[in-house]
Amino acid sequence: MRILQKTALISTLLGSLGLGSSFALAADTPAAGAMSTAKDIVLRGDAKCTRCHDESDEPRILTIGLTRHGVKGDSRTPTCTSCHGDSDSHVDKTGSGDRPAPDRVFNKTTPADSKNAPCLSCHEKSFARTHWAGSAHQVNDVACVSCHGIHNNGHDKVREKRTQAEVCFTCHKEQRADSHKISHHPIGEGKVVCSDCHNPHGSAGPKLLKKNTVTETCTLCHAEKRGPFLWEHQPVSEDCTNCHTPHGSNITPLLKSRPPFLCQECHDAPHQAGNPVGPAAAGKYPGSPFTGSPSSGRTGRACLNCHVQIHGGNSPAGGYRQR
Amino acid sequence: MKMHDRKMRVSVLALAVEGALLAMCAATAQAEDDEVAALIMPTNYIELGASYTSDSSAKFGEYTGLNDSGLDLIGNFNVSGGDAYGDGNGTTRWTVKGTDLGLTSRSLDASMSNQGKWNLEIGYDELRHNLTDGYQTPYLGKMGGNNFVLPATFGVVGGDTNSLSLDQQEAFHTVEVGTSRKNMSFRAGYIFNPQWDVKLDFNHLDQSGAKLMAFGTDPISGGDDEKVLVLPNPTNYQTDTVNLALNWKGDKGHVTGAYFGSFFRDGYRSVMFQNFMINNGGQEMTTPPSNDLHQLNLTGGYAFSPQTKLAGGLSYGRNTQNDAFVDSALMNGGLGNLPRSSLDGLVVTTHADLKLTNQTTKDLTLAAGITYNERNNKTDSVLYDFFSISGSNRGVYSNTPLSNRKTLVELSGDYRLDKNQHIRLDYNHEDVKRWCDKYAGNASTGITNANPPLGGPYTIYGANGNCVVATGSKDDKLGITYKLKASDDVNLNAGYSYSDRRTDSDPNAIVAMISRDGGSIAGINGGDYIGFYPYFDATRRQQLVKAGVNWQANDKLSLSFGGRYTNDDYYDSTYGVQKGNSWSLNLDVTYSLNENGSVSAYTTKQHREREMTNVQSSTTTPWNTWTNTLKDNDFTVGLGAKQGGLMGGKLELSGDLTYSLGETDYGTVLHYSTATPCTDPTQLTCGDLPTIYNRMIELKISGSYQVDKSAKVILGLIHKQLRSNDYFYNGYQYGYTPSSVLHTNQQSGSYSINAVAASYQYWFR
Repeated sequence: MRILQKTALISTLLGSLGLGSSFALAADTPAAGAMSTAKDIVLRGDAKCTRCHDESDEPRILTIGLTRHGVKGDSRTPTCTSCHGDSDSHVDKTGSGDRPAPDRVFNKTTPADSKNAPCLSCHEKSFARTHWAGSAHQVNDVACVSCHGIHNNGHDKVREKRTQAEVCFTCHKEQRADSHKISHHPIGEGKVVCSDCHNPHGSAGPKLLKKNTVTETCTLCHAEKRGPFLWEHQPVSEDCTNCHTPHGSNITPLLKSRPPFLCQECHDAPHQAGNPVGPAAAGKYPGSPFTGSPSSGRTGRACLNCHVQIHGGNSPAGGYRQR
Repeated sequence: MKMHDRKMRVSVLALAVEGALLAMCAATAQAEDDEVAALIMPTNYIELGASYTSDSSAKFGEYTGLNDSGLDLIGNFNVSGGDAYGDGNGTTRWTVKGTDLGLTSRSLDASMSNQGKWNLEIGYDELRHNLTDGYQTPYLGKMGGNNFVLPATFGVVGGDTNSLSLDQQEAFHTVEVGTSRKNMSFRAGYIFNPQWDVKLDFNHLDQSGAKLMAFGTDPISGGDDEKVLVLPNPTNYQTDTVNLALNWKGDKGHVTGAYFGSFFRDGYRSVMFQNFMINNGGQEMTTPPSNDLHQLNLTGGYAFSPQTKLAGGLSYGRNTQNDAFVDSALMNGGLGNLPRSSLDGLVVTTHADLKLTNQTTKDLTLAAGITYNERNNKTDSVLYDFFSISGSNRGVYSNTPLSNRKTLVELSGDYRLDKNQHIRLDYNHEDVKRWCDKYAGNASTGITNANPPLGGPYTIYGANGNCVVATGSKDDKLGITYKLKASDDVNLNAGYSYSDRRTDSDPNAIVAMISRDGGSIAGINGGDYIGFYPYFDATRRQQLVKAGVNWQANDKLSLSFGGRYTNDDYYDSTYGVQKGNSWSLNLDVTYSLNENGSVSAYTTKQHREREMTNVQSSTTTPWNTWTNTLKDNDFTVGLGAKQGGLMGGKLELSGDLTYSLGETDYGTVLHYSTATPCTDPTQLTCGDLPTIYNRMIELKISGSYQVDKSAKVILGLIHKQLRSNDYFYNGYQYGYTPSSVLHTNQQSGSYSINAVAASYQYWFR
């Protein structure tokens, strides 16, 4: 509780004991009196709130001062009532009974649109949120505060690399499981984050991808696979996820299936690809039931033992994507 | 007077009491000021320490830098300042931050801003991706380099790579293989006024190291008898990316105009290596060509009213590649001059999107949108003459610059039945077209690539046919979602969608790389049997069901449960992928122990299945079919606990346990009889393959103890083990390789490792 309020209360107490002083305030409106002399702590006009909601509050709301919302010198900076409303009935409550809630609270019973309104009043008109209306998150009642911590000790987990995935995984549980598979992007390690590929505020691309297509998004980092190549491979030029599953796989590297079976999903004729492939594809090993001669086109990298430029090749002699 | 005296005495007493209380208050005021300062002034820290890793494992340290056993330095810091902190009216802030400075996953960032005016950020981020520490090769050459030679005494390998001489076996040595990414970033922004601002993002990505790749060589004899070795294929890449955006916003709308450029440069044009079977002859493998992407983007939104909004964007990109072709003399046996010295490749990408949303009544939200994406490959098509690496398949082929266009129309309506129930309907229609602008063929024989003369005359394939079998498709998708807020504590949702993709196909399409030896007729169905379609563009019916519930049982306990099921039916494909399904179940439980502690648990079960039918190509009876089934089962469990406020608020403990099990199975069934039964141990063309099995257990425990007001000691323990069994590696073990493949002796990367860490964190303001 702030020192001025304490002083006011002490003075009031003394006054009621007949020990009046120049510090005494009207006994029936101590808070109002305190407010008249209370000083803003973080935001312009925050004394209206911080005379009660002070440094002893949990969660520690004053930590908003550590965020960009806490820069008073920036004329765009909001104050408590910008988001929570004027909340006069909450502030002016006297007597017994429950204190009415502020005009806008951000709890589970508040509709997402209502929670988002104060945020969007400033942040909607920006490139990153152009496609918010009608986006997957908007229509599924995801609120800004579902992911962002506004007062949260100055640390917004979803904006920090090491903790962002933890926030996204709250809802995206299959992706959480995928991230633990043997082949994965370094998501859990905090080196690749969801927002490297996705724009959670909406996008013109599929699956909230940052760029317009899957391929454009992947080649942001994997630019060596962008081409254009002399010898193209149709599934590569159309959509990397035809063969890869980006969040994690049991088959390295991030593959949906293992060659030769992966290749046989699209090819049956070249190179006797239509020949049946069974346990012989596992090759020979101690105790193996297979006693024949392993095939370089079936074992290990299988087709990719020779057709190595599978993402596209640029050698005039590489029409078979071998060079 | 008495009265007055008494009043005076009372007043003096009151003042004395007040004075004493105020003195107390002054002391507490200072304490409060400190408390407030702790909340609104940045707390800086420097952390120094060391970690110890019990064993070396590239897989354990795949991305963390903890790949070698022994000690590593822990170094982290974060220092912030500026007059925008505290109760002043300043607007300047700065931060310098370093993370994992002692490891190869280190990063360093600095930023400074005058909020509301400008901001500057620079960053450095490093990532070493450790791929393997068990790879063996006889080749000499630096990992990350592009020249690999055999030891002078190696000689040549005879007919079987499993019968090496002792000297040759001893030439094999272990090479650690991995890539390093060093990303340097610069960001700046300037706000001209409330309406206009500009932002610049620049990244320089430097990649070095290598990834393992197979390299095929000329054979001893012709036929499909390529000789294969595995080498570290260098990733000597530099990628510069720039985005310059000018933003405008007004009362009702906003627009962003931006230029995006990405420039990829490969430091090598090819990899030179020796043929281990033929006189150590020189071989050459190309590396990815350098390329550029220039893209102009225009994006904006307009609010006709708070209820009706329009958003959209336009994008135009040019992706070019004109690296000089690598001299083909080593690769195609000197078949003659190349028809051109470089590709002069150009792909033009065009994008447009528009979306209108309306909420005229608070109960009904409508949306309509259209998205258009085109990849138009404008590259010339020319005939190239080459031998395959088998040496026997000389061919003259034209490159096939592929283009496609996708148009997606989306309509949706969300209706609030009452304050607790929503129902939503979605309808999507996607139209896909595929074509080639140019495709060189033989002028004398028309549209065919069957041995036309190199260098022409040749025709350009145009309107007379297609270059892809699946020339287009139409996909209609209808979805319905229902949401119920059963109470303040219980939320339910359920959804169903149905989509039907119908593919237009041209079985007479002249496609790239028509089969010459597959037993089918060149040019028919892209070289595949009639009835075979690649799954990603085949006719398909897909259904999806999903449901979930969130329950806040009480102030302490919350649960969520959900699941999803999809079913794919490629009902028009006689061959190829026939059907597939996948499902998953998730359960999450969180229990709050007290104000500072909680425990949580989750589990996820995933299943995926795909069935394909293939047809034996070496027979003349194409109905000799066989079926392969892929089943992927994954199970993940996580347990977490944290407790703060121990030992008078000085001790915090947390722990996480994760268990992940992945199993992938393939099984093959033949639907016809052969002279040699498929169960013959020399053939084994039917039956189940060994399960690809990966089991990971990870335990992380950490604790921090507040030594005093400005210091913490942090201790951490990681125990992680991986049990992996993957038949992939069988074919690379000496004694078990195909006779044409040089072994690498790589293993699947199982490990059991402990790592401990201790650090001292000093806080200051």
